[in-house]
Amino acid sequence: MRVPIWIAAVVSLGPVAPGDARAEHDHGGGHHHATGTPSSFGAGIGLVAARYDTEIFVGDYQGVLPSVMWMRGRFGVAANVGLYRLTENGARRYGLSDVVLSGQVTLVEHDGTLVGLALPVSLPTGDHATGFGMGHMMVMPAVWASGSVRRVQVGGSAGYARAIGGETDHDHGSWPLVDPMNLQELTWTASVYVPLSRELHAGVRMSGGVPIGSGRQRVTGGVRAIWTARAVETAFEIQAGFAGDPFILRGLVESAVHF
Amino acid sequence: MRNALMLVVLVACGGTPTPTGTVCPDPDPGTLTYENFGKPFMENYCTWCHAVDIPRSQRNGAPIYHDFDTLRGVLEVPDHIEQQAGIGPDASNDFMPPDRCPTVAGGKANTSCAQPTDEERRQLAEWIACERDRPHTF
Repeated sequence: MRVPIWIAAVVSLGPVAPGDARAEHDHGGGHHHATGTPSSFGAGIGLVAARYDTEIFVGDYQGVLPSVMWMRGRFGVAANVGLYRLTENGARRYGLSDVVLSGQVTLVEHDGTLVGLALPVSLPTGDHATGFGMGHMMVMPAVWASGSVRRVQVGGSAGYARAIGGETDHDHGSWPLVDPMNLQELTWTASVYVPLSRELHAGVRMSGGVPIGSGRQRVTGGVRAIWTARAVETAFEIQAGFAGDPFILRGLVESAVHF
Repeated sequence: MRNALMLVVLVACGGTPTPTGTVCPDPDPGTLTYENFGKPFMENYCTWCHAVDIPRSQRNGAPIYHDFDTLRGVLEVPDHIEQQAGIGPDASNDFMPPDRCPTVAGGKANTSCAQPTDEERRQLAEWIACERDRPHTF
């Protein structure tokens, strides 16, 4: 069974909706494009809900996560943001997260294997003080790859994330509450998916960050099901935070359409 | 498109907590103390939410371990206090108190917060600059 190209993309980089891409600090849009195919446009929407308990804040959040992406040949760009309702230590707040813009290029496409580079950049549109944003720009270059072993799709990425300015804003450790990461860290993702039917894939996905200098190591993991119907892809995921207190439990529902 | 870019720039350019650059006069004049300034300041503007006996779910967003009902609690995070509420030669910080406050400690934020005057914010920065270097027994 031939795996759709955006399934391969999800395997390598995560979902197409924004919040999770920002959450895992993988690579913005995450949708890759066969280099020989014409251009395409995609738009997605995601819903997220999570419960968290960090060193100094406890609460929950819910978010709406719109995204857009455009691909042409081996190149692609994506943009995403989150609109959140955040409860922190009894205070309820509403706000915008940091906007993430991402450029990416597929360097190798051979026999179902894809290798590429991505360069997400986050803009400090989220309020730092209340936990919606980092308070400064972040650049998060990474290399990603995906391929198949028999019927199993595997993927992963490795990258580096660094704050641009605002180094003094991280005295609370990982931040912000809705998508914590360190001032400077190595990022990684790994995933495995198996086809359950022509339209349905399911698998597990892990991601994390290893701080460079001060900070906290972060590890998350989840089970994810992806349902593809023509140009529409919908995903459901339950995630848990295993290290670094990014969240206790988080649920995601995401849907994207590709033209 | 231009409007969207302007919005991004405006949001991105919001103020951030900044060290005020206040230094304690040498020698320390000792005119601002915890008893005559720090304690009443904290009680007037801060301990509605920043108190050790207020549980997490009733702190109206105040971080855990940021409790200002004792001098020791204040001196645990003096930089945060100054960068949230102090005024000095390098910065004017008015991020705290917030707009809404409870009428009783630990209650719902249902009223406008009392706000320190600029002079009180300058005194706050100076008191912290001096108090952090004074001898303490805890």
